Amino acid sequence: MMALALSIGQYYGFDSLVEFFILIISLLISYNSYKIYKVIKEKNYSLFSLAFLSISVAFVFKIVSNITLLNVIKIEKGSLILSAIHELNELQAINFFSFLLYKIFLIVGFLTLFLIINKTLNKESMMLYLYFNIITVIFSIYYNFIFHLTIAIILFSLTIHFYKNYSAQKNKHKLLVFLAFLIMFLSHLFFTMIERNPIFYITGEMFILVGFGLLLLNQRDTKNGKENKTRSYKRYTRSVK
Amino acid sequence: MVKRTKLEVIKDILEVLSKGRNVKITHLIYKSNLSNNSIKPHLNELLSNGLMTIYEEDNKKHFRITQKGQEFLKEYNKMKIFSDSYGLS
Repeated sequence: MMALALSIGQYYGFDSLVEFFILIISLLISYNSYKIYKVIKEKNYSLFSLAFLSISVAFVFKIVSNITLLNVIKIEKGSLILSAIHELNELQAINFFSFLLYKIFLIVGFLTLFLIINKTLNKESMMLYLYFNIITVIFSIYYNFIFHLTIAIILFSLTIHFYKNYSAQKNKHKLLVFLAFLIMFLSHLFFTMIERNPIFYITGEMFILVGFGLLLLNQRDTKNGKENKTRSYKRYTRSVK
Repeated sequence: MVKRTKLEVIKDILEVLSKGRNVKITHLIYKSNLSNNSIKPHLNELLSNGLMTIYEEDNKKHFRITQKGQEFLKEYNKMKIFSDSYGLS
């Protein structure tokens, strides 16, 4: 049985807390997008909502994976008695499948975001992406490096899109989203190196926490309905010209 | 001239409706800056989502904003910021 969790022993409590925080933010973004979809019935918003829902489900499985691995370690440390072996296998099975589901849902979530942002919603492109998605998941069962590299590449293209979105009309909200995705991209670059040194795991977790924190900051402003008036005026004058 | 997004068009229609009590289709077309053909799908959506109601008076159709439509206008700014920040519109 392959227990492939990413968690590094001493950080268990911390990473589960980070993942819970990310789960809540993703749900919040998903709900906000769904609210818009309910009114204007545009496919973009429903898919955007589903993408973030998929990301939040991924983090539910990551938490389950962390918890089961924590239990496995505890059993191992307590000098195993024969009766505990059965329990150990079950926990390993839960750990393996929950970690696999984490990978699937995270790839599906970010890939859906990529498809929406690049407006490639035709069936042919989606089939191609689905194929790559399946290949990536299969390879990432054996190599965590492949999984994180794939996510990093998707995040890199999302970062470029959000940078273009920001430079087309500069305002605080677009900047926050751009920075959030840039930091998330960096976090997955760190995750690709966790097998070299555990410090990359905790650094990656810190970065992903900051990334989603910036998205939360954007959500908070969205909730208050704050708009950058100066920039809006500039856009208005540009459109008049 | 910047092309309006669907979210902006819906906001514009509802704003016109919120300013008058019983709005006729011609007034709505003129004020929301849409053609007769392009306004129809938006009106159908607004009706099916319960953001406005339609009723007949002297054999003429009139439109009125609902409570849900008013709430949409209040929420509009938040939705716009959200949509813009991710480049969804």
